[in-house]
Amino acid sequence: MSERIFILPLWIRIWHWTNALLIITLTITGISLHFSNPDLMLVRFDLAARIHDIAGLALVALYLFFVVANIVTGNWWQYVPKPGEFLEKCRRQIRFYAYGIFRGEPHPYPPTTQANFNALQQIVYWIIMYLFMPLLLITGIMFLWPDLAPKRVFGFDGLTPVAVLHYLAGLVIVTFMIAHIYLGTTGLKVSSLFKMMITGWHEH
Amino acid sequence: MTATATLSGRRPIARAARAACPPAGWIGMLLILAVFLPGTALAQTRGAMGTDPETVAQVRAWNAECLQCHVGDSLQEPGRSLFTVPKAAGASMRVSPGFSASNHGGMACKTCHTGGYLAYPHDMAGGRKAETLQCDECHAQEAFRVEAQVAKSVHSRNLKENFTCSTCHDPHLAASAKRLGSVEKLVAQDNGMCLNCHNSDERFAEFGGKVLPDKQRPDIDTIHAWLPNTQRHWEAARCIDCHTPPSTHRSLALSHEILDKDKAQRSCAACHTQNSALRTRLYRHVAEIETRELGFINAAIVRNTYVIGATRNAYLDALGFILVGGTLVVVVIHGLIRIVIARRRRTS
Repeated sequence: MSERIFILPLWIRIWHWTNALLIITLTITGISLHFSNPDLMLVRFDLAARIHDIAGLALVALYLFFVVANIVTGNWWQYVPKPGEFLEKCRRQIRFYAYGIFRGEPHPYPPTTQANFNALQQIVYWIIMYLFMPLLLITGIMFLWPDLAPKRVFGFDGLTPVAVLHYLAGLVIVTFMIAHIYLGTTGLKVSSLFKMMITGWHEH
Repeated sequence: MTATATLSGRRPIARAARAACPPAGWIGMLLILAVFLPGTALAQTRGAMGTDPETVAQVRAWNAECLQCHVGDSLQEPGRSLFTVPKAAGASMRVSPGFSASNHGGMACKTCHTGGYLAYPHDMAGGRKAETLQCDECHAQEAFRVEAQVAKSVHSRNLKENFTCSTCHDPHLAASAKRLGSVEKLVAQDNGMCLNCHNSDERFAEFGGKVLPDKQRPDIDTIHAWLPNTQRHWEAARCIDCHTPPSTHRSLALSHEILDKDKAQRSCAACHTQNSALRTRLYRHVAEIETRELGFINAAIVRNTYVIGATRNAYLDALGFILVGGTLVVVVIHGLIRIVIARRRRTS
């Protein structure tokens, strides 16, 4: 019989699924814009541009909410890698995904009410949410209002480095999203962690 | 020199083809020029400007005579009051400072302004009427090529014979892409031709008012409000890049058939793609268009401006495929192994 603990308050769950919806929308429209081809359009360019702009601004607002809510509730502490065998904890977590999971071993560091994330989640989520997300959003805002970008950089249009950074940040976040969704299937059952993100209750 | 809208190119383009074959009058004019323009200057009647020092010096000397009066914004005549100078009705007679940088910059004024203009005062002395050559008298081939296109143009259809070459192309200012030397300047020049009328109620009424008196000039920003970052587009692309029919090859000049808003290009992806229409339009003059620079496709474009979809970086795209594709492959393999192991466990 599995046990369950409540670890995710409503605001985190609403933020998570809104964030997921916006990131998926921005990924599809972003691919349509970047790899634009009149003969093979995922989403028509003008429509993709409009959706990308609106969803992008919504993501900026949502990110600001995320930062403020994390500060107010103290949830930011969950993301901070804690000292004390941190690298060893990461190593054990990677070993579990690469080997232990196939042998049916239990998760080395299941969530508790005090620590929602294992060490690998802490460092990866921190890098994604506090490094790549701001980079993605700031460059996105510069794309939306190009006058914010420098006029020329190293002989190129100032938007060129902005575009490259936006693309790279987007690439990292899309890669993370794929891995994140897949690792969502590694709970007690394939659906357990998805259910947890809806109900807030973790089964183990 | 705005003057030239009335001084040159007065003949409607629809009649250009007839002028393309040298008429007797044209030959006669050559003979007159042969009399008044000694030696090397004759070569310039068809736009072939001499570049040898003697010719250049001679042209400068001739033009200096004209520019004694035709200078700046006013008409000056030594020893006489400005206002006593007779001036052709409607003709502004200033020579723009941009003339020397234009395509016609090295030419003698009297190559085009001939007949009575060859003497001073420009009266009818000797029966020589002061006249200005039409564009097609030198540019016969070009006139022949674009005649049908111009006839289909929204301007010709609306303005009829009020629309001539020099309505758009100021012969004292127009410069080729090569001469301008930068895409930015080319965009500014070519868009200036359109905005000269389409952003001016006065000019719009001057031409359109004759045939379409009730036609109000639509606000250029309002009708392009659908275009994101409108001003940014106008700094980086020309009106004609969307308002002319598609051009299939880089070596072909852009069509002179100016399309109205219903037929103009509205598909963003025409330019915003790897095989961008800008390659056969705005950037067709740029030789290195095919090359890559730091991995960017359409290197010539990215040097000037970033065009989403057209100026991607091939290396970063490859990195993207490896990163995203690699992650997908890893999770699929990982998932399959888990499924297989889980089944074996169940069966055993």
